[in-house]
Amino acid sequence: MGNNDPRRRRSEISAAVKAKLRSFSHKDFLITLGVYAAATLIAFFFNRTASDPTLNIAMLYTIGAFVAARYTDGYFYGILYAIVAVLSVNYFFTYPYGNLDFSLQGYQVTFLGMLIISIITSISSTVLKAQQDLLARQDKELLEAEKEKTRANLLRAVSHDIRTPLTGIIGNSESIIENTSAMDEEEKLRLVTNINRDARWLLSMVENLLSVTRIDEKSSKVDKTPEIVDEVVSAAVSHFRKNFPENGITVKVPEEPVMAEMDPLLIQQVLINILNNAAAHSGTRDPIELQVRVEDGNVLFSVRDRGKRIPPDRLEHIFDGGSFATEDESPDSKRGMGIGLSICKTIIDAHDGGIKAVDHEDGMEFVFTLPEYMEEIDDAEGDDSFDRG
Amino acid sequence: MQKVTILLIEDEKSISDFIVRTLELNGYSVTAERTGRDGLARITSALPDLVLLDLGLPDMDGNDVIRETRKWSAMPIIVISARTLEKEKVEALDAGADDYVTKPFGTSELLARIRTSLRHVNSVTSEGGDIHKTYSSRGLLIDFEKRLVTLDGQPIHLTRMEYNIVSILAKNSGKVITYDSLINALWGPYAGDNNRILRVNMANIRRKIEKNPGEPEYIFTELGVGYRMREDEGDR
Repeated sequence: MGNNDPRRRRSEISAAVKAKLRSFSHKDFLITLGVYAAATLIAFFFNRTASDPTLNIAMLYTIGAFVAARYTDGYFYGILYAIVAVLSVNYFFTYPYGNLDFSLQGYQVTFLGMLIISIITSISSTVLKAQQDLLARQDKELLEAEKEKTRANLLRAVSHDIRTPLTGIIGNSESIIENTSAMDEEEKLRLVTNINRDARWLLSMVENLLSVTRIDEKSSKVDKTPEIVDEVVSAAVSHFRKNFPENGITVKVPEEPVMAEMDPLLIQQVLINILNNAAAHSGTRDPIELQVRVEDGNVLFSVRDRGKRIPPDRLEHIFDGGSFATEDESPDSKRGMGIGLSICKTIIDAHDGGIKAVDHEDGMEFVFTLPEYMEEIDDAEGDDSFDRG
Repeated sequence: MQKVTILLIEDEKSISDFIVRTLELNGYSVTAERTGRDGLARITSALPDLVLLDLGLPDMDGNDVIRETRKWSAMPIIVISARTLEKEKVEALDAGADDYVTKPFGTSELLARIRTSLRHVNSVTSEGGDIHKTYSSRGLLIDFEKRLVTLDGQPIHLTRMEYNIVSILAKNSGKVITYDSLINALWGPYAGDNNRILRVNMANIRRKIEKNPGEPEYIFTELGVGYRMREDEGDR
């Protein structure tokens, strides 16, 4: 894992630089050669046309040195270029032409300057590149660590949420097996009903976990298609009615058909989780209101209950997943919000949407949005010429 | 009256046990097989009235059992499977399965699906050919000969496309019709991707016949799979 200890950073950079120095690359060699050839060609052109070309030519080669150093790995090519360039200026473009002669007055400074500039450019751009690489790698490591943490949180939440109903199932069934003759029918029925309820809870958990596998692990993206919002809503509502037949719910969708790009099964899961959560924790059987409307180019889904409010300190972490396992609260307390809401957040994030919980005077509202999908819906009326009357 | 015979092909003993027990308690005569090969042999020799089929069999893929059976028989096949991906459901339905129940399921759900599938066979065998002259359910009436749709006595104005969609679903009421087979029936096999047009049409249909499109009474969506229309009450 990356850290910010400056000493360690420096040694990592120098190691990276050394590694680069040692490597020979055909690509870099060709780049260097290309830059040199280009500089030399232009220099010959200058030499023909300008009246006092030497200074310009030296300048030109220096620019070349910068380019060569910037676009190759390590110091080597930059320095190689600088030396060759200095020799070339001397050989081709200063009197006596076609000879190496360093005796001319003043020129030594030009040559030396050029060499030094080239070398410094090489070194600094190499170090810069090594630093950039290191930063990029550290960012990646941080991201990985973040993911690792999320995964660990999720696993902890999951095993808690699984263990609780399993305890019920094992306990209730064992007590029937062991006391089967001593129990009356009514008692047996009660225990079996408990088993059934716990098993259903487990099932909803498994469905949640399964839904997470539909999110691409690398990109955190989902496979989206344009969907009619009604269909997802009605699928979630009928699921909810099956699970909570005694709870009321009212549903309202826009007058005009509205589309949004989504993985419909995932958005259904989000709605089911929020509805289940409202039914299980609002402490009331007053109808839950599910409403879909369009606002500023977004499709907005709202689930409103008229029950218990969620305390602010808890509200803050309600989508974190770990919220139920805070130290001050007994982990054995009533089945928490569990992983349901944190999975909602994961799913909505993967859809580039937004989700929030709003605290009202008389209950809670969960809202999430997805960008509206627009297209020439008139297409569907393609053969509308015929209208039965 | 002779009992309806059901063949169950399922390799998991605890699941097989409870299904057999439930069906017998509800007056069906049930045989159970554990492998696809034995199942196919039993289908040919015993000619059951209905087959319940698990897709994950030890010796072969359940979809092959469906295809093999469909070569010569139209007997109702209901798939019971733990496979949950939409495309797996679509594959089984397109292979010729009549219905699809996802594990885990409640006994009441299973019994309802069995009744629906059996009713379809009865309606075909009792009169033969296309018996569908009308569809009626909860005040929605479709007269296929006059191409007329009324809701609580009031005529509903559907476009040609909308009527075609509704009539296909109504003639197969109670069954899931996959998007692809619906598109095929509407536009032919080379229509390409008309899924979105179908879906938008459906949204418009719902706004004409459903009291609340957010909670439809007549046409239900199986997300990612297709549509199912409420069972025709006129058949009973």
